[in-house]
Amino acid sequence: MYVAARGGEGAIQNAEALYNDLKAPIDADVVRAIERTMPYLIDRVMGEGSLYAPELAALALAQTGGDLYEAVLILRAYRSTQPRLAYAEPVTTKMLFTVRRISAAFKDIPGGQVLGPTLDYSHRIFQLDVLDGKAAATATFTPDTPDAPEPVQPVAPREYPLVADWHRMAGLMAPLEKHADQDPSDVPDVTREPLLFPAPRAERLQSLSRADTGGILALGYANMRGYGAVHPTINELRLGYAEVQVRHPISGDLISLGRVRVSQAEIVTHFANSATGVFGANKEKRQNHKEELALGFAATMGWNEIKVIAAAMLDKAMDLPAPHPAHTEEFVLYHTDPVEASGFCIHYKLPHYVTFASGMDAMRGANQIAGDEGKSVSEQPEAELVAEAQE
Amino acid sequence: MTLEQLALENHGYSYAFLDEFAKRELRRRILKAIALPGYQVPYASRELPIARGWGTGGLQVTLSLVGPEDVVKVIDQGADDSVNAANLRRFITRVSDAASTTDATQATIIQSRHRIPEERLHEGQVLVLQVPDPEPMRSVEHDISRAREMHADADYGLLWLALYEQLVRYRRVTQGASYPVMVHKRYVMSPSPIPRWDTPKLHQAAHLTLLAAGREKRLYAVPPYTDVYPLEFTDVPFKVEDQRGWVCIRTGAQNKFMNEIPNEDGTSTHEMSDTGYIEKLLNAQPGDTYYDNNGNFYIRGYIRS
Repeated sequence: MYVAARGGEGAIQNAEALYNDLKAPIDADVVRAIERTMPYLIDRVMGEGSLYAPELAALALAQTGGDLYEAVLILRAYRSTQPRLAYAEPVTTKMLFTVRRISAAFKDIPGGQVLGPTLDYSHRIFQLDVLDGKAAATATFTPDTPDAPEPVQPVAPREYPLVADWHRMAGLMAPLEKHADQDPSDVPDVTREPLLFPAPRAERLQSLSRADTGGILALGYANMRGYGAVHPTINELRLGYAEVQVRHPISGDLISLGRVRVSQAEIVTHFANSATGVFGANKEKRQNHKEELALGFAATMGWNEIKVIAAAMLDKAMDLPAPHPAHTEEFVLYHTDPVEASGFCIHYKLPHYVTFASGMDAMRGANQIAGDEGKSVSEQPEAELVAEAQE
Repeated sequence: MTLEQLALENHGYSYAFLDEFAKRELRRRILKAIALPGYQVPYASRELPIARGWGTGGLQVTLSLVGPEDVVKVIDQGADDSVNAANLRRFITRVSDAASTTDATQATIIQSRHRIPEERLHEGQVLVLQVPDPEPMRSVEHDISRAREMHADADYGLLWLALYEQLVRYRRVTQGASYPVMVHKRYVMSPSPIPRWDTPKLHQAAHLTLLAAGREKRLYAVPPYTDVYPLEFTDVPFKVEDQRGWVCIRTGAQNKFMNEIPNEDGTSTHEMSDTGYIEKLLNAQPGDTYYDNNGNFYIRGYIRS
């Protein structure tokens, strides 16, 4: 095969080789160690990569030297080539094998607050003994094997009720709408269809689920700090294992494919009807209707509490009739995709000399006209003018 | 009988990387784009093993079209040996087994970032332009849903106003690359950030141009022999970059799009941006070009300034 140009090709191959030379080599043991010792990092990569594959996520991290965005891209690029073989059965919150569920709305909740695994109340100090080679703080709990070594009595319940169900029973929240059983292949899929606005709720939640944790946090935090009319309370935050089941294509039997770690958050706001303006200018309806609590929701693969809390708040914020410009659906969903945002950011490293030259031409032309007329083109600094002309 | 014996051999990735479902979707969207010149067709846009924003839109289009018989040319800012062009070419040829060339007239598919070759492309060739931002109205309307409505209504008043404001403020239109064009008298389109020098080459072109934005998930087309006019006021004609007097240091050529290379003493050296054309000028007989050696565009009267 005839290969056209070689100049740049040698350079990029050498650059990649140098990158790899500057970090320790990787092998199967390294990958396995990353998978076992950094489950929360693995979860973040899997969630943003939207592919539940702990081993591949660990390999992606090892290959990229821990560059999160590069690791997510490897996972996404692999995922995008995989065919849809089957649709899993729906998983409801109640079905989760829940290891942590807390509500900030009440002191105690039906089923009880379950603290579960968390660093929330740990003292953030170094375990310097580890560096000294002394016995490390060893873990007895391995996330992959949720069966506790010594069962306690009474045994934790298999299922926990939903806090939101209590609101509904108490008449504080609208009852859930009944949906006819939907063919899973009819659920809109953000990886197979372009996102258009207003987005179907499924696409919104899918986008939030695979969004960049940092991006969601930044926009969510802006909302929490006051750029928005949502005043949220965490109604229920859950970490758990979801059993993934599919029907056998011939026998129709339900088959378990295993468990995946998932997290989900529900935030609740008061005066939902006023806040979301569901009745608009219809004063009569507004007066006759009682105020209700409303939920914002987000879920993701892996245990990533920060992301689901911030995303659930954004979910609610996006529903406002006039959200802050940074909290409209289009703004949030377009700007929080890790692959797109990081890719575009680094693309500025590519040569832009043709567009730059075109802008320079326009600027020189404008300056010449101004010079001919004996005055400066504008008070504007040149750099700004070039940027504008380049657009 | 073991499970291993029953399992299919592991094939890794599909031919030309994309799976057949993705290719089918892309081809259908491309056909729609050709049927509606200048209209931005939304598509799913798969992730590729190349960073988003680095030509993944163009790459998806190329991968959905390429076959082992194809000859591919990849350029970035006009250069075949630019690192990004080399990388994309390496990927395309690796997954498709297509041959590659630097000769614009020999290629069946030309994937390009920000340039159209100087030599006139012919019927049957496909030019794939990488697009960072498909929306010509982004600077005047950042809300995509609203911009779509404006396209549907052919409501381009704000865009004309933006050009007018440039004119009032700077006494000339200061739009650099990505100069907005009217396609087939219906849709205003961003031609991708090609210099204004290249914009006229889209008008009544013999080849098919496909433009694709991977990150923004839109693709659009200029079919062969379609009217493409830059937005220009009757009394303020569209201007290409003024590079009169610039001489290519490698070939002595003039009136082709030049790179300006700064010298330490504050002066500049000039070199043609189209490296494939430089190669041909030095080694072989180049074909007809869009602009002749005096800078006249091949369709007389199209550029009025």
